[in-house]
Amino acid sequence: MDIHRYEKVWLAGALLLIVGFIATVSYGAVGAGITMVNDEGGQVDHDSLDEHPRFSEPGTYADGPNEYDVYVVAYQFGFEPGTQEPIRVPAGSEVTFHVTSRDVTHGFQVVGTNANTMVIPGQVSTITVRFDEAGTEEYGLLCNEYCGAAHHAMEGRIEVVPQSQWNESMEVS
Amino acid sequence: MVAGRNSESDDAATSSDGGGDDGAQPVPDGGGADGAQPVPGRDAIDDEGYAIGSGRSDVVRRIDHDDFDPIGTLVLIAIYMAIVGVMWVFMYFVEFLGGDLTVIG
Repeated sequence: MDIHRYEKVWLAGALLLIVGFIATVSYGAVGAGITMVNDEGGQVDHDSLDEHPRFSEPGTYADGPNEYDVYVVAYQFGFEPGTQEPIRVPAGSEVTFHVTSRDVTHGFQVVGTNANTMVIPGQVSTITVRFDEAGTEEYGLLCNEYCGAAHHAMEGRIEVVPQSQWNESMEVS
Repeated sequence: MVAGRNSESDDAATSSDGGGDDGAQPVPDGGGADGAQPVPGRDAIDDEGYAIGSGRSDVVRRIDHDDFDPIGTLVLIAIYMAIVGVMWVFMYFVEFLGGDLTVIG
């Protein structure tokens, strides 16, 4: 079969693009350490979250040096904590959000960032992110899955507290 | 295909004999048609208004495989691939990896 020389050029170009796409995504996973949200958070009974050791009292729990767990319950139409009172996390720390829903499917997105997961009743979504010492002090939080009539009003806040001002009282422990 | 069209038009020409109008059909450039054909009848006109068989059916110019030189197409594809490459780098390395918080676990 004769393949025209120009055709060989753009076939090679297309292959190069595909190889480039795969290479950059591989770099993101291996080099930059980007991970996907998976099901390792496990499952909970969404009807009895108040019996759960952490979801019954959602908030920020210390988990190690500069490592924190934040338990969040999403509901129609807000986050607990997040909406009534902001989620507080210390700057310069690695924070794992454990988010679940007690009614319908919601979304949990830190506005303008890649921190984003679907929140499904009965399932715990976990995402780990790093809050830099010199980073933003406050983030918005929103639901990005249509969850009912007041979905558009479902929002919250994350306050990043400087290490010097962080004290134990901000943790649920 | 071409042969089929020719025979079809011959049939049509035959069937339209006696159509009254015996004006000569314009002969295509280089068509090499020996005699003037009668204007085709309605049956020989396709849906788009072309007289079936009126197209040029012989070879006008023969070129070798690699003499075909679509340099404009090559340039367009090169520009397109350059745009895709630049947009990919911008989207992945600037917008995505450069984003503030990123899921790392």
